[in-house]
Amino acid sequence: MISDRVRSNLTNEFRKSLLPKIGVALLLIIVFAAVFAPLLATHDPTRTGYYNDDGQAYPPIGTSYETEISQDGEFVGVTVESTDEHVLGTNTVGQDVYSRALYGARVSLIVGVLGVLLAVAIGVPFGLIAGYYGGRVDNGLMRIADVMLAFPALVLALALIGVFGESPVLVPDPLVVLFSAQSEITLPLVDVEVGLPTALVAIDFLEGMPGAIPIPGTVTIVSALVTWVWFARVARGEALSLRSEEYVKAAKSFGASNPRILRQHILPNSLTPIIVLATIQVAVIILLEASLAYLGFSGTTLSWGYEIERGQSVLRRRPWVAVVPGIGIMLAVIAVNLLGDWFRDALDPNVDSTNRGL
Amino acid sequence: MSVGKFLAQRLLFGIFVVWGVITIMFGLRAVSPGDPATLMLGEGASEDLIRRVREAEGLDEPIYIQYFDYVSGIVRGDFGFSWQSSREVEFMVIERIPATLELAVAATVVALVIAIPLGVISATRRNEPADYGATGFSLLGISTPNFWLGLMLILIFGVWIGILPTGRRPVGFAEALLILAQTGSPSELVTWLRYISLPAITLGTYFTALITRLTRSGMIDELGKPYVTASQAKGLPNVLIRYKHVLRNTMIPIVTVVGLQVGTLMGGAVITETVFNWPGLGLRLIDALDTRDWPLMQGIIVFIAIAFVAINIVVDALYNTLDPRVGAE
Repeated sequence: MISDRVRSNLTNEFRKSLLPKIGVALLLIIVFAAVFAPLLATHDPTRTGYYNDDGQAYPPIGTSYETEISQDGEFVGVTVESTDEHVLGTNTVGQDVYSRALYGARVSLIVGVLGVLLAVAIGVPFGLIAGYYGGRVDNGLMRIADVMLAFPALVLALALIGVFGESPVLVPDPLVVLFSAQSEITLPLVDVEVGLPTALVAIDFLEGMPGAIPIPGTVTIVSALVTWVWFARVARGEALSLRSEEYVKAAKSFGASNPRILRQHILPNSLTPIIVLATIQVAVIILLEASLAYLGFSGTTLSWGYEIERGQSVLRRRPWVAVVPGIGIMLAVIAVNLLGDWFRDALDPNVDSTNRGL
Repeated sequence: MSVGKFLAQRLLFGIFVVWGVITIMFGLRAVSPGDPATLMLGEGASEDLIRRVREAEGLDEPIYIQYFDYVSGIVRGDFGFSWQSSREVEFMVIERIPATLELAVAATVVALVIAIPLGVISATRRNEPADYGATGFSLLGISTPNFWLGLMLILIFGVWIGILPTGRRPVGFAEALLILAQTGSPSELVTWLRYISLPAITLGTYFTALITRLTRSGMIDELGKPYVTASQAKGLPNVLIRYKHVLRNTMIPIVTVVGLQVGTLMGGAVITETVFNWPGLGLRLIDALDTRDWPLMQGIIVFIAIAFVAINIVVDALYNTLDPRVGAE
């Protein structure tokens, strides 16, 4: 599917410019953080109550802040020092900010990628059929798409979540599950009193990490429902121009059926702009998920957006609670956008990168 | 095709789109869980009361009758009553329009004023520091979640530097203007301006970034065209070529995109209004969602759809002016 020309265009563009390199490096770091979150995290991201002796949240390492605590009915000013235990401090309910930022990357990336795959699955066939058949089919289908466009994505998402509820889906953590399964098999074989065999040191790292994390189910589906229309538009445009190509006419003259032509000829040849758009839409959906979580409609608390909402009320004294997850979102979105720009510049200068639709 | 016929066609199509939105919203409400009468009256309401409300609201009628009632109501400008406050939805929408409109216009102004010069500079000084700066800024702008940007602005300008207020605004634009007209004192207008700056920047940044990118790439395309070389050969000054001819041609796709992004602007307004407690439609929409106040929610969303369609018709008309070739097709 990836032709030599495409590959050489991609490599040339990558060599020529600095931005794709930054994007790929950034994305690799974020994906690494998301995949190995249970190993990299220092604390269970959902565990609350990491406070100092005065019951105050820790600031990030190397910083301190002033606050007031009530002592014997009087307010006394105290200085809260950081601790090496919590690199980026703890939040309002005493959760480790660093560990939550790592897990937040998981939720963002999973929702972004799944949402886009779903949007492609709806939008591409829709658009291809409209463009290929043209005429009345095209008119009817694209009018539906136009109605969808009149809904602001965020507003439609909010309305849909209002109807279908938030329904978070618990997704087992493969790393944790894998190692715990191994420990279950191994444990009876060793004398428990002797302790764990050294081969299972990894479990030490994973100890206390959640076995499953909640992924916002409705948000994933809803992000697809509000972005598919952009894929439909692009796919339609491609099908419209491809259907009069010689090879399509040739296939037709050989008696190929319409579904076969769509699958074998039109779809593979319209993939490039769809891939470019898909990359950019991952960024859009990450932002959409963060916004919904910020507004409290996501259904999961393990999300960068939700974390920012929690930091809002303590912005003055404990700004890191909101600052850290925000930087997380920004880096993830920058990485994906740079990747999208790279694909667009290398593969198809004519794709409208502005069809963001959020 | 004449301009009149063109506009009539767009209008007809706009009505179709709004009808579609109304129908989808009605459908969503019909499949949403929870009995409307119970939602309206609260959990503790007596059966008799619930029955009477169901009757009065026509909730026992077949679904197509309810649908017909709802659509014909909207056509007459009757959006029903809010379940929470029992007030007429159309008034609850109208009273919130000015604040949102002020915010949206201010954000658009911020975006256009910064983005177009930035895009032009970036395109005409390619691969110079100014271009890198503009490109970096626009990348940051499209990648920053606006609610977080808003909070950071509050933190920097409201808390650390402390030069701009961050609370709920005490005065609207119309009131401030009225006071200016009556007393000649611009102090209220200054207050209004101080309160709207941070929300406008918050909402406008994404657009600034987007339009900068569009202007840059559009200008670069246009600058390579033969008519530019011809104008230069003719001895036209570069400033004239850039701003009169090239920029004008670049504006055509930008205007289209800006029109389509009105939806994004409305979505962004919902978030920005939440961050700054701005008394607009977005904040009211969030309230309506929180309390499952369907008539209010539908009213606001249908209104947003109408606004979207209207703005896009205006954009189409603008398009005609910018590019006379379009209308003829």
